[in-house]
Amino acid sequence: MWSEKYRPQLLKEIKNQTDIVERLQLFVKTRSMPHCLFAGPPGTGKTTASLCLARELFGERYMDAYMELNASDARGIDVVRTTVKEFARISTISRVPFKLLVLDEADNMTADAQQALRRTMERYAETCRFVLSCNYSGRIIEPIQSRCALFRFTRLKEEDVLSHLEMIGKKENTKYEIQGLKAVVSASEGDVRRAINTFQAAASFGKKVDEQTVFQVIGRAKPQDVVEILSLALKNKFIESRDRLRNLLIEYGISGQDVIKQLHSEVFRMDLPEAKKIEIAEAIGDADFRLAQGADEEVQLSALLAQIASKFREK
Amino acid sequence: MHASWTQKYRPRHLSEVAGNKDSILTLREWFTSWSSSPPKKKGALLYGPAGTGKTVTAEAASRDLGFDLVEMNASDKRSTASVERVVGTAAQQGSLTAGKRLILLDEVDGIDPSTDRGAVEAMASAIERTIWPVVLTANDPWDPRLSALRNVCLMIQFKRLGLRDSVPYLKRICLSENIEVEEKALRFIVERDEGDMRSILNDLETLSAGTRTLTYDNVTWLGHRDRKENIFEVLGSIFNAKTCMWAKKAAGLADVDQEMLFEWIYENAPTQIEDPKDRARALEALAKADLFMARIRRTQDWGLLSYAIDLMTAGVAMSREHAKTGWVKMRFPERLKLKAKARRQKALKIAIGRKIASKCHTSTNSAIKYYLPYVKQMLEKESKTAEELVRWLDLDEEMTESITLGVAKSKRP
Repeated sequence: MWSEKYRPQLLKEIKNQTDIVERLQLFVKTRSMPHCLFAGPPGTGKTTASLCLARELFGERYMDAYMELNASDARGIDVVRTTVKEFARISTISRVPFKLLVLDEADNMTADAQQALRRTMERYAETCRFVLSCNYSGRIIEPIQSRCALFRFTRLKEEDVLSHLEMIGKKENTKYEIQGLKAVVSASEGDVRRAINTFQAAASFGKKVDEQTVFQVIGRAKPQDVVEILSLALKNKFIESRDRLRNLLIEYGISGQDVIKQLHSEVFRMDLPEAKKIEIAEAIGDADFRLAQGADEEVQLSALLAQIASKFREK
Repeated sequence: MHASWTQKYRPRHLSEVAGNKDSILTLREWFTSWSSSPPKKKGALLYGPAGTGKTVTAEAASRDLGFDLVEMNASDKRSTASVERVVGTAAQQGSLTAGKRLILLDEVDGIDPSTDRGAVEAMASAIERTIWPVVLTANDPWDPRLSALRNVCLMIQFKRLGLRDSVPYLKRICLSENIEVEEKALRFIVERDEGDMRSILNDLETLSAGTRTLTYDNVTWLGHRDRKENIFEVLGSIFNAKTCMWAKKAAGLADVDQEMLFEWIYENAPTQIEDPKDRARALEALAKADLFMARIRRTQDWGLLSYAIDLMTAGVAMSREHAKTGWVKMRFPERLKLKAKARRQKALKIAIGRKIASKCHTSTNSAIKYYLPYVKQMLEKESKTAEELVRWLDLDEEMTESITLGVAKSKRP
C-alpha cells in the first residue's frame, strides 16, 4: 500500500502540523515526555506522528520499546492491562528511560474501561509513556485528559495533500492529469490516507489517472446498494427491496450498522416535508439502538424500510 | 357397514384398554367400594389429554361391572334444568329393569358458561345426592369453574400413552387387519400423535388404506406433508385473525418452535399485508418481537417469550386495517439457510480486516472501512502490483476470492 510506503519516517517530514512537530522534537531532544493525547480527524497524521516520535526517540530498533494497541481490537481493558504489564515490566537499556505505548482509537473505549486505563497509566507511568489517539477528545474522560498533553491535529490543506500525491506519482512512475489529482484531493476532505488510497486504486486501472477514473473509484468505494434498496422500497416494491437488503447483508457481509448510517445520510436528501425527515431520523435511531441490543439486522432494517415507505406515501 | 377403526377396535372390557393400568385399577377399586355402601366421594373425575382412554374406560367399566350406562356429553344441552332432569333423576331412581346404574358426564370442561349457567353447581349437587356412581371426564380439570366438582370427586389422572403400551396394541390391530407394518413406522406415528390413541388409529387407518404393507418411509412422507399443511393453515389464521386471542390461539396450533414460526411470519407478512401503512405496522410489531427475542437470548429470561409471541402473532394480525386483495402464495423462509453463510462471510471479512490492520497501523474496523473498498478495486484487475499487494497483505486464496467476488458482483445494474 502506498499509504504505508510513503508514510513519513521523520517528524520533520510531517506536513501541516508544525506546532505539534516542534513540541514533539523537543521531547526527543530532552528525552522526556508526558503522556499524550492526539486528537483529530482520520488521516491527519496521528499514527504517523507517534511512529516518527518512537523512531527518533529510540533509534532504528525502536520496535523493542514501542507498542501499538488498538482499543477497538484489543477487547476489554483486561487485555490492555495484561499487555501493558508485560510490556512495561521490562525496562529498556537504551538512553531513554521509558517505553512508548500507543493506544489507538481510545475514544472507542467505554467510560469504565477508561477509568481502568487511567489506573494502569498511573501505575506504570515511570517505565511507560502513553500516547492515546482519538477522533474526538471529548469522548475521553476528564481524569485522563488532565494527565495528558493534548495535541490537536487539523485537516491538511489541499495544496499539501496535492504536493504529497505528486511526489508519490513521480516516484511510482504513474501517469496522471493534474485535474485527476485535484479531484482526489477535494474528495478526500483533508484525509491524506483516503487520498492516497483513492490515488492508488485509480492508478491500478492501468490507465492515466484522470478525473473520470477518480470519480469511478470514489463511486465504487461507496456502497450504492443502499440507495437502490431505499428507492425500491419507496416505489412500493417492498419484496424486491428486502431481497436486495438480504443479499447485501449476506453476500457482501455489510454490517447492519453501515446500512443504517447510509440510510441516515440519504433521508435528508429525500423529497419529503422537513418534519417527516425528523420522524424518519428518529425511526432510524430506534433501529440503530435495537441493533446494539442484539436484534436481528434484517428484521430491524426491513421494518425500518417499511416505515420509511409508509411515511413517504402519506406526504 | 364400514366401521372406522376407532369404533371397530374400541375396547369392550377394562382388560382391553391400552395403558394407564394404575388409573384403571383405582377406578375399579372405587366401583367395588360401592357394593357395600356409597363411598365418601360419589363422583370420579377422569382427567387427561384427548385420546388417552377416559371415556372408553368408563364404558368398559360399566359393561364389566354390570351397570347400565346413563350418559350425557358435551353435545347435549347442559342447562341447570336438563342436568337436573337427566342426572338428578337418574341419580335417585332405580332403573326400570332394576339394574345398577352408572352415570357418565363426558367432557365436563366443555361446559359453556354463557349457555350452561349453573350446570356445574347442578352436577355437583346431583353427585352429592346420588345413590349411583357418577363418572366425569375432562381434559383440563383445573379450570376454576370446575372447583365445585373437584370437591366431590375422586381425581384419577390418565396419561398420554407411551410406546411401550401402544406399539404392541397397534401391532395386534395391524395383524388382524392383515397389514405388514414396520415397528419403526408405528413408533413414528405414536410419537407424532403424542400418544393420542384416537389420532393414532385414525392415522393408521388412513395410511394403510389400499395397501398391505406399511414402511417407515411411507409413514414419514405423509407426516411431513401434514406438517407443511399445518403451518400454512396456521399462517392463514394469524394473518386473517380478527381478534388477538384468535391470532394467539392459531400460533399455539403450529407444530414448529417459536423461532421457526417467527421466520415463517416474517417471510410472508410483507406479501400477505400489502397496504404500505399496514405493512409498516406489521413489520414494526415483528421488529419488536425480534427485540424481545434478542433480550431472551441475552438474559435467558424465557418469561419474556409470551410478549414476543403476542407481538409476532396478534401484533401482526392487528396491523391490518385494509382488507386483503387476493390470495398470495406463501414463501418458505429461506433466510435461515442463508444466515450460516452470512456468518461465514462476516468472519472472512474480519480476517481480511485484521490482515490489513496489522500492516497499516490501524484497527480491524478502520481497515474494513477505510482500506478495504480501495483494496478491492486494486485487486480487481489482475496485474503484478495486485499480486504484490496480495503477498504483502498476506491474503490467502479464499480471502482474495471473496474480495474480488464482491467487486465483480457489485457491477451488476
